Amino acid sequence: MTRNYNDRRTFLKGVGGAATAVGLAGCAGSGGSSGRDYFKFGAVTSLSGELRFGGEVTQRGYDLWANTINEEQGGIEIDGETYEVQIEYADAQSTPSTGADAASQMINEGADAILGPYSSNVTLAVCPIMEQNSMPHISGSAESPQIWQEGFEYSFGTIPTVSIIGNEAASALLNLEPQPESVYITAVNEPFSVATGDSMQAAAEEAGITIENYEQFPRDTDYTNVVSAAQNADPDLHLHGGHIGSHVDLVNAAEQLGYSPDGLLMHYGVNTGSYKDGAGAQAPYTFGATVWIPDVERGGGALFDSPQAYADASQSAYDTAPDYTQAGSTAAGIVFQEAFKQLGSAPPLSQDDKDELIGILEEIEVSTFYGDVVFETEGDYYHNNINTQPLLIQLGEDGSPAVVGPEESATDDPNYPVPAWDER
Amino acid sequence: MVNIGLFTQIVINGLLLGGIYVTIGVGFSLAFGVLEVVDFAVGEYVMIGAFTGALLTPLLGAEGVFVIPIVLISFFALGALIQPMIHHVTTGDRPHPLLMGLVFTFGLATLLRGSVLSIFGPNNRDVPSSLLTGGVEISGVGTFPVVRTVTAVFGVSALVVFMYYLYRTTGGMAIRAIAEDRTNARLMGININRYQSIAYGAYAALTGSAGVFIGMTFTANPGMGLQYTAFAFFMVVLAGMGYLPGVIVAGIVLGLTQSFTAVYISGNLVLLVLFAIIYVVLLISPAGILGRGEWAT
Repeated sequence: MTRNYNDRRTFLKGVGGAATAVGLAGCAGSGGSSGRDYFKFGAVTSLSGELRFGGEVTQRGYDLWANTINEEQGGIEIDGETYEVQIEYADAQSTPSTGADAASQMINEGADAILGPYSSNVTLAVCPIMEQNSMPHISGSAESPQIWQEGFEYSFGTIPTVSIIGNEAASALLNLEPQPESVYITAVNEPFSVATGDSMQAAAEEAGITIENYEQFPRDTDYTNVVSAAQNADPDLHLHGGHIGSHVDLVNAAEQLGYSPDGLLMHYGVNTGSYKDGAGAQAPYTFGATVWIPDVERGGGALFDSPQAYADASQSAYDTAPDYTQAGSTAAGIVFQEAFKQLGSAPPLSQDDKDELIGILEEIEVSTFYGDVVFETEGDYYHNNINTQPLLIQLGEDGSPAVVGPEESATDDPNYPVPAWDER
Repeated sequence: MVNIGLFTQIVINGLLLGGIYVTIGVGFSLAFGVLEVVDFAVGEYVMIGAFTGALLTPLLGAEGVFVIPIVLISFFALGALIQPMIHHVTTGDRPHPLLMGLVFTFGLATLLRGSVLSIFGPNNRDVPSSLLTGGVEISGVGTFPVVRTVTAVFGVSALVVFMYYLYRTTGGMAIRAIAEDRTNARLMGININRYQSIAYGAYAALTGSAGVFIGMTFTANPGMGLQYTAFAFFMVVLAGMGYLPGVIVAGIVLGLTQSFTAVYISGNLVLLVLFAIIYVVLLISPAGILGRGEWAT
């Protein structure tokens, strides 16, 4: 009994000590947000799980912005004083619910603003948390139109919605000569990919082209069946919405079964290293969609002088060529930096500052290496930057992308119809 | 009206997909039958095999097939090294040995997946092959993708070899004796550790080699293992736990079900239909489709 009493007393002491420690830690946490000499950004992105490739792309984009402004300008200048930028990451683990928890964690830890997750799925879960906490949030990667249709007041996005990107890239492909008469559309069954498929379907309908079938399926499907059904329909073009893994599986199955439509357009990520490495010899001639590549003709602006200067900085920092998601993520940081300058408040930002920041973001126009960023303030694209021109790209023999559409933006002629597998 | 050309192609797709599952199911079933280990790391052996293929192939004349012998030998050695650890946590005074093995291999799977992700990053990687490309079209029947056909042949051949070893050699008899009753096998003078290491090494070698083929068929990705772990479980439940010949039947059932559901019902319902089959089999015939496996206890 005595021993039990002692054990209990020891236990209670331990619990008391732990509670005190937690309480002190909590005080330290909340107290740490007052009188900061740096701006604190929370970034929620997928650093593990099936979307970790995209998560790392967004992380590179955010980090490149923060590192560059800290190294070149000492941070964000407010009233003659510079404040460094610090980004703290929380792993969304590729799942919406974890992303929402991670966003709450970032807010509780006193972030001044939030840089958004990779993937529309997670973004759709994070945006309501931003609304509840009145926290400014810019996504550098999410493309689902649903995000903007919801009308979230505190969320913004630098990349145009896929209903614009997918539609305009598909339209450019559908206008190539010889003009196609039929398309087969496939999409992985998740919000971004379905939105991509829907945008391609809309483009085909607008062009008056026969849609042989529009099929949706889960990510882990066996693509020989998808390809066999498409092959049986014998379309002129195949349009596919999904992420990189699904593109690789689709193009591999197409090669194995000898399925050769005149063109295969896939979105997102055809011009990423992951697609080229994964698809290997099957990658050339694939069509894709983007809003930015390093040799696109756009002016520079804040922080980076030109698209190529940004690409060089990325190559130097990460030994990898940036894609438009990384560029859009960096642009999100630049937009915040310019908005913070206009706000003129030293860190940490008060709630009034954050509310004022929303008004600034709604009116801001920022010229960047990525293009001019201006957010819509009404309609279906509320708070989305839809000014950036979507481009139709095609991978060359060496896997490098060339802009082949729309006509006014094209820098190369498309290789169309693409050669059959046994002629490559 | 059913399109005959599409129908026969779906049959081919289903059979060859089943062949891919057989390559994974054989080793997994062997590990369960002989070692009584439910190995959560099975999918990660597939993933590591695929990555080994992606890394070594450029050094071996850009031909993934040449990597297979290296993977067979190195994974056998890896499995033989890991097995004593599994034996250690599943024997002695520890309660719930099956659960201990499951937890150990779950941790191993997490370690392997995390290590590959940390070292190589999340990118997809191609396992190139100049020999196993394209497909062979047979007029009036359909197209046989070469890499999938070779994978299926590899899986079935491995099964035949294992069956021969288990039922026609002294070593196989020793392994079957261990599977039947470890204590009595030890009393008969069988070196249990040695044969268990051989069995687990063979399982790892076969599963790693399956990974190279799967890498050539699809791609190598650090996250691919979970999917194949799930299918390995499907396989042993359908085949009957520890019953090797049932693996072929299970592979065919899984492959054909997946293919026909995807094309003639809906791609969205494939997993629902597969899980429904698993549940029905567990309810009606817990010893597998052929009723020859061990009963779940």
